[in-house]
Amino acid sequence: MNNTVAALADIVQNKEIAPNIYHMKIKALDIAKKAVPGQFLHIRCGKTLSPLLRRPISIADTDEKTGCVEIIYRVVGEGTRLLSQTLTGHKLDVIGPLGNGFPLPEKDAHCIIVAGGIGTAPIIYLAKKIASEPKNKNSVTTVLGFTTKSEVFGEGYLKFPGVETIIATDDGSYGYKGFPTDILERLLQEHMGKTDPIIYSCGPKPMLIKVKEIAASKNIRAYLSLEEHMACGVGACLGCSVKSSRKGYKKVCKDGPVFEAGEVELC
Amino acid sequence: MKHDVDLSVNIAGINMKNPVMVASGTFGFGREYSDFYDINKLGALVTKGLTFMPKNGNPPPRVHETPAGMLNSVGLENPGVQGFIEEEWPHLSELAIPVIANIDGDTVEDYHKTAKKLSSLEGLAALEVNISCPNVEKGGLAFGQEPESAFEVIKAVREATRLPIIAKLSPNVTHIQKIAEAAVSAGADAISLINTLLGMAIDIDTQQPIFSRKFAGLSGPAVKPVALRMVWEVCEAVDVPVIGMGGITTWQDAVEFILAGASAVAIGTANFVNPTAPLEIIEGIKAYLDMKGRNLQDLIGAARG
Repeated sequence: MNNTVAALADIVQNKEIAPNIYHMKIKALDIAKKAVPGQFLHIRCGKTLSPLLRRPISIADTDEKTGCVEIIYRVVGEGTRLLSQTLTGHKLDVIGPLGNGFPLPEKDAHCIIVAGGIGTAPIIYLAKKIASEPKNKNSVTTVLGFTTKSEVFGEGYLKFPGVETIIATDDGSYGYKGFPTDILERLLQEHMGKTDPIIYSCGPKPMLIKVKEIAASKNIRAYLSLEEHMACGVGACLGCSVKSSRKGYKKVCKDGPVFEAGEVELC
Repeated sequence: MKHDVDLSVNIAGINMKNPVMVASGTFGFGREYSDFYDINKLGALVTKGLTFMPKNGNPPPRVHETPAGMLNSVGLENPGVQGFIEEEWPHLSELAIPVIANIDGDTVEDYHKTAKKLSSLEGLAALEVNISCPNVEKGGLAFGQEPESAFEVIKAVREATRLPIIAKLSPNVTHIQKIAEAAVSAGADAISLINTLLGMAIDIDTQQPIFSRKFAGLSGPAVKPVALRMVWEVCEAVDVPVIGMGGITTWQDAVEFILAGASAVAIGTANFVNPTAPLEIIEGIKAYLDMKGRNLQDLIGAARG
């Protein structure tokens, strides 16, 4: 009981860090204490009946000492537009932490984390969490992909010892030219002969399909964080389904949003 | 002296300490919301729709937001009646409140078999017979659109069980009163309405319908006035208790349905928006009755004159 909290949290920051990308911090100690990387918050963006449903947004960081929970979100529709206009000092109606997060590596693992666009948000939390246990001797390479230089964010949030960050842009205006999955293939090539790395990924579906394909072809463990429109966010309405590789459907909100790549069909 | 409000109601033998239930399909099998509050505070719980055999449901997308509402096309994904008995009934049977199983079927025979199987469960309070699901190929809504087929399904369930039967009606009909009358004459002990309204949405980028089954069920605050009107009509036509639902989001909404003649109400889509909505609605009804110095029984149908 009470793994999930419903809270009216104080908003302490809500600022635009790239075009249409916002970084919000709220005070929600109970959530900060319980959350793990890959979990999300379900947020009521407005106060009226339209838009009606909450919006699922990944947790980008937490701080158990200050009780801060951070999210980074992109404005895509009416809900997130309202959220972007919410002022600090106001309250945020939030439920969380929800879903299953990324299984963390035990020790001596090499983690390659591949993110695309706003999929960078949960990856920041994950990379930081892995790097926060130096005694485990895990190494992390994050590969972030964006369409163009002006869209790039997250690099500054990933400056931890033990975390290497590589940026790719589709047009080559910043970092490497190409997709983050091109870099993933290259990194795996370079890593050949050593212990298998673990792949983590979050981002647009075509990218996740490619990551899944690469991981399967090399027989490497991969965890994918999926996105789907949701209603309840807690597993009650069965609205956010993804096809299971075995039988029937899985719930993105409750069984995921993080799945082992072989568990789900992405097409 | 403070008036001690009596919120209790008995619907076809189902004793509820308050008139607020949760609607089928919006509350899973009761596990999901127990993180937020003690669900024993509800008047009753209605399960996700059950079919005789397990059902995978429809391919995604299954939900789509609309102005003050949402469309769903879940397609009755459920573990089947045997899966329900093994996986869900053990924890549901420990609840202190009435648990009502919602049932659906492709054929009249399916409804009969499901009802019969569930009747063996000691402690199950009632069956809600869904003759109104718009999201499946066969059965569901098709049974609820004609008085004759509604009669046939309810009669088959009646023959299978001694449990109270609640017939859940669809709003997607021309003459709701005729369907309600048919259900009652076939043996329904109560009526619940409305299920979702048939709607659709089209993706203007792909220029294709959003849902694989094209049409989907509309729910949420947007449907409340339609639901209220239909509850009013059904209360006029039948003498059995009516459970009103459709877009109830606040206690004021709930009071409107009760004033229209509903003996109880069910909260559906509002659970998704505000997980503690049912509790707030119970408290709101109580405070309203307290202020008016009345009991729930005095309120039922009070707007009918």
